Amino acid sequence: MTPEERRQLWQHMRTPVISLGLLMALLAINVILGATLPFHGVWMLEAAVVLCMVLVVLFLSMDVSHEAPLIRVFSMLGFFWVLILFTMTLTDYLAR
Amino acid sequence: MSPSDAVMRDHSTARPAVDRPADYLHEQHTLRSWFFSTDHKRIGLLYLASITFFFVLGAIAACLVRLALIVPDGTIFSSDTYNKLFTMHGVIMIWFFLIPSIPATFGNFLLPLMIGAKDVAFPHLNLASFYIFITGALFTLITLVIGGVDTGWTFYAPFSTTFSNTYVIPALIGVIIVGFSSILTGLNFVVTIHKMRCPGMTWFRMPIFVWTLYATSLIFLLATPVITIALILLVMERAFGIGVFDPRLGGDPVLFEHLFWFYSHPAVYIMVLPGMGVITELVAAFSQKKVFGYRFVAYASIALASVTFLVWGHHMFVNGESQLAATIFSLLSFAVAVPSAVKVYNWTATIHKGSIHLDTPMLYAMGYIGLFVLGGLTGLFLATLAIDAHLHDTYFVVAHFHYIMVGGTMLAFLGGLHYWWPKFTGRMYPEAFGRVGAGLIFVGFNVTFFPQFILGYLGMPRRYHVYPPEFQLLNIMSSAGATILAAGYFFPMVYLIWSLWYGKKAPANPWNAKGLEWTTSSPPPTHNFLNTPVVDFEPYGYENKAPEIG
Amino acid sequence: MAEAVLVGIERAEHFESIDQQREAASLGMWAWLLTELLLFSGLFLIALILRIQHPAAVTLATTHLKFWIGAANTAVLICSSFTMSGAIGLSRLGWQRGMVGCMLATATLGTLFLGLKGFEYYQDYAEHMMPFLGQPYALAADQATRLFIDVYFITTALHGLHLITGVSILLVLTSMAGRPNFLAQHQNRIEIYGLYWHFIDLIWIIVFPVLYVLNR
Repeated sequence: MTPEERRQLWQHMRTPVISLGLLMALLAINVILGATLPFHGVWMLEAAVVLCMVLVVLFLSMDVSHEAPLIRVFSMLGFFWVLILFTMTLTDYLAR
Repeated sequence: MSPSDAVMRDHSTARPAVDRPADYLHEQHTLRSWFFSTDHKRIGLLYLASITFFFVLGAIAACLVRLALIVPDGTIFSSDTYNKLFTMHGVIMIWFFLIPSIPATFGNFLLPLMIGAKDVAFPHLNLASFYIFITGALFTLITLVIGGVDTGWTFYAPFSTTFSNTYVIPALIGVIIVGFSSILTGLNFVVTIHKMRCPGMTWFRMPIFVWTLYATSLIFLLATPVITIALILLVMERAFGIGVFDPRLGGDPVLFEHLFWFYSHPAVYIMVLPGMGVITELVAAFSQKKVFGYRFVAYASIALASVTFLVWGHHMFVNGESQLAATIFSLLSFAVAVPSAVKVYNWTATIHKGSIHLDTPMLYAMGYIGLFVLGGLTGLFLATLAIDAHLHDTYFVVAHFHYIMVGGTMLAFLGGLHYWWPKFTGRMYPEAFGRVGAGLIFVGFNVTFFPQFILGYLGMPRRYHVYPPEFQLLNIMSSAGATILAAGYFFPMVYLIWSLWYGKKAPANPWNAKGLEWTTSSPPPTHNFLNTPVVDFEPYGYENKAPEIG
Repeated sequence: MAEAVLVGIERAEHFESIDQQREAASLGMWAWLLTELLLFSGLFLIALILRIQHPAAVTLATTHLKFWIGAANTAVLICSSFTMSGAIGLSRLGWQRGMVGCMLATATLGTLFLGLKGFEYYQDYAEHMMPFLGQPYALAADQATRLFIDVYFITTALHGLHLITGVSILLVLTSMAGRPNFLAQHQNRIEIYGLYWHFIDLIWIIVFPVLYVLNR
């Protein structure tokens, strides 16, 4: 590989490498938390870590931040609709 | 013209003229060119034939139900048979007629034409959608033939999972499969509308029908997967006893209902929205006037597609959901009526001081507006918690949704079919017969379903094989109406097919309507337009002059 | 590195421009992924409701799941996402051989996931943790645990089905992508497929904690 090719390769692979690192680190945190269960409400922290991982996949791996506004809307729309499903069903189950 | 045209030409009867330019109908004649076509127009017609077949099946089931209800003691059919009849009626009419009807037939045919495109974004996917529909349909037909299913189209657990002795799993598989057809059609339409509009066709220059197709397609995408998983879980529960909906194992049947209605309420808007779009087109064309409040109608379509996802619990008021949830769903159900009302007011304002032509499509449109208002208002009664406690699971509900589905969507379908028939086929239908058919359907419909409001209010439960004898007169009235309605449906089937050979040849724009579909020939060429249209005009560019008096 | 090949997209007949075609394909895939998210969300909802209604049973059931296999599988999929990103990057550079290598690596990691999953299912079977089979069930003392375990099986099986489909399509795509002229005509297919693969990973990133971690 020539230095020019190396530079090109790194340009394309920088973001995926960062993604990989972040996702593995976050996974490690959740695995350690899950294995050791340090405190009572640890699930909240674990859920927050999951949210971070999802955001990393969306914004880094799938490059949503560089996409057209239309794609950004569609990438978020599903999650928003899942929120509707969850919150309104919870108004039933949490208020019985 | 093909060699077969010349050979078959019989000079003693009316025949299609031979010196016409190539259009999508006549360009290729082989079976292969029809059944493997990626042309959205041919696929639309494939769907039209299929849904008509299923409509007839579903209508036969309905006729048998009405036959059974002539007597109060259930002697005509056994209760098991009766349960299978109303279930098959519901399953077939909802998933194999109403949901695909306008989107898959008119939507497929007209969407690219209306936005000046050559085809949809993914033509091969379009063909795949059709064959997925047929696969799901086959499962349903098989279910019908081997003995049917008796759970009601709502498949509530634990009856469907534990106690029913009928062929629930094949029925569920049929519905799961046909859901993928919906999803892929919705996906295709969304991408087509976003990406395939011709130069100058901005969002606010599109016909309202396209707006409603867009809104419907969003619902296809967002709602259908949830019922897919709900029905998969039902299959798992029935086959393996997984327990999630089984109270004996700690599960909750209401959880199924949440997942089911999360889809099925928006599904009724899938059935309603495209019809509203059709009515907007009809009302503008036959009043020769632009749509009043175009932007309001466009935004109302999107509002309907959004708010519809917030009201599903109104199907579960008396099924065990919490009071808090019931109250929230009730309030939101009142809210969802508003965009529908906006559309009704706008149609009325469009017609007002228009140059009204009472051709068959307009008769259907006028019928739609009146009947949809009745259906919609009675929905508000049902959204009221205290009243629903009395009316839930009675014939009032049955009448409510038939006013919307038949009085509404079916009339819109028929109106649109007549309106665009010249475009699809290159033929005019016989106008006098069209008006008679519309009249028969309107009268037949009301005689069938208005008594059901009264029956429900008086307390007659739905899905019951027997009823108190004092309800018999109203039931007989309803069944008598059903025969008139059946005649009304049969009529267009006959004269529309007749018109394919003997109808007057249609010009490009027989109605003097605005819209890109009317700027191309009837029927259109395979690639829709000879030259890609460039739009620099507003939609519905009628002259808006008040008609002259005297 | 092998010398770069020409990269581009061949316009299909019904599209007016390559940009239109590319954007349409991307929007179409995102619309599809939206439906996949909603499909799995029904299962996530059920997991949540089970947690609310039977907290002790769900915790007990969770501790009998194979936490470490699940964790390893998550790492495997994250790596496979990385190799798929590699394939996309190399496809943009026109480095066809490297791209094919990355795609094969991705398929291999996906298959590794399936292998580990199969081993996990076998262990579940051996430990009598398959209540739906109608055989003796290890946690029969608390029947409500069945519900969560059944949801675990359905969710992971549905995900596994998507992964099998994904690997199959990937192998077909890889064999097509190795041919000459592929990158000149269909480069965006790698990107579109990559979106699907990342989403399979995303779904698992949610599945693993929901089933194996949050309820411990």
